[in-house]
Amino acid sequence: MRSNQPGIRAAGACAIALAIATALTVRPARGDSKEDHSKLPPGPIRDRADLMEGVGKNAKAIGGALKAGKPADIEKPAADIASVMDKYVTLFPEGSQGHGSRAKPAVWTDRKKFDELAMQLKDQANALAAAAKSGGDVKAASASMFNTCKACHTDFREKMEGE
Amino acid sequence: MAAVPGLRCRGRRTGGAVAAGALALASVSGCGGRDTDQRVPQAGDAARGAIVMALAGGCGCHTPKEGPVGSGGVEIATPFGTFYSTNITPDPKTGVGEWSDAEIEGAIRRGVLRDGSVESPVMPYFAYAGMADADVRDLIAYLRTLPPAERANRAAEPKVPLPRLAYRAWRLLFGRGGAAPAAAPVAGLERGRYLTEHVAICGDCHTPRNRLGTPDRSLALAGVSKRPGVPFAPNITPDVETGIGKWDAGDIANLLATGFKPDFDNVQGAMAEVIDGVAGGPGYGKAPEPDLRAIAEYVKTVPPIHHVPKDEDDGGDG
Repeated sequence: MRSNQPGIRAAGACAIALAIATALTVRPARGDSKEDHSKLPPGPIRDRADLMEGVGKNAKAIGGALKAGKPADIEKPAADIASVMDKYVTLFPEGSQGHGSRAKPAVWTDRKKFDELAMQLKDQANALAAAAKSGGDVKAASASMFNTCKACHTDFREKMEGE
Repeated sequence: MAAVPGLRCRGRRTGGAVAAGALALASVSGCGGRDTDQRVPQAGDAARGAIVMALAGGCGCHTPKEGPVGSGGVEIATPFGTFYSTNITPDPKTGVGEWSDAEIEGAIRRGVLRDGSVESPVMPYFAYAGMADADVRDLIAYLRTLPPAERANRAAEPKVPLPRLAYRAWRLLFGRGGAAPAAAPVAGLERGRYLTEHVAICGDCHTPRNRLGTPDRSLALAGVSKRPGVPFAPNITPDVETGIGKWDAGDIANLLATGFKPDFDNVQGAMAEVIDGVAGGPGYGKAPEPDLRAIAEYVKTVPPIHHVPKDEDDGGDG
């Protein structure tokens, strides 16, 4: 009957829409720190999230190299981390708080400390790369660097929901 | 849960004398003598107790951010109402300073308070029910070394009808944890399971509860969806897609020790608190490395469960 057809079509369309919505919202395991940046507004807010995601990938590579006992594999990711920090601090203009960003207001109220930690990370990443290249103490150098990551996160990054 | 003042005083007058007598008898009789209380027969070792406390995440629910350690008053929102953690410092007026070891043990493992009332299961006594006699004894000894802090317990705001009866019924139906061992397993997966289930109690946050507030074992450690009064917790089963299956035991142990994930991102919030401790109190980070390793090895063996807990209030069809 004619009256059933729109109903069936609508139901079918709903089912497909639901399937697509589900597929798009299935998130990777939280344990892997992946976030969906497509929800962030394009511009500095999204750029800095993407940039930091890259830092995370490099940090993971360094961790893996430490575990595997392959210090030579540390040099490049450490140098890559150092190379982005100058750009990173330019991605926090006034008024770019909120909008899904995890940057705490402290970034702007305590900007000096934020910038200092960013430069500290750059220096320590360079030092780690140098240690990796010269056969120095990569364990100590990486521990210092990771502690800087943690210090900045503690003061300037909102915790994830439910953490 | 916070007792009616009259009841509390009554308990103190009668219970206190009996408990003091029992304690005196126990300490005089020593190891070889007859114990009047089999559960906590002799004084524990506070140094070992500090380790138990660290493995228990520092009993961090009982410590406000500004301290002092163990002084209570932390607001805990749940679907069953708002509760406030109690003062577990040795303060004689507002803490547990006048409680006997057996009375403190009762509150930790059996869900009963000094005045005979039953605790709400917000206090996970049903998980601590499996804590070994030796460990709870040592933990109590350590608690008695905390600086006494004066902070009166705040009355809970339960949303359940007839709360005292409800807690009693819940305990009867769901709260009996079974017999605890006299001493904890010392090594291997056995120790890992013991620590995970009865000391660190990871499931308290990571295992969803059903509508009656009991843990849903079919989703053990598979993460908890956020909803009013219930914080999000990730899936920590070894499922590769939705859990931490890609992590090895070393990664898990390292997280418990340092708060760093394998990519050196760090956990923040409640998980960071149980690792770092609150207001200077101990956390997992202060626990012995072999114990954290044992927990990690055990968690790698639990059933992998495909489960994606929701970390946003979806509204809609939730």
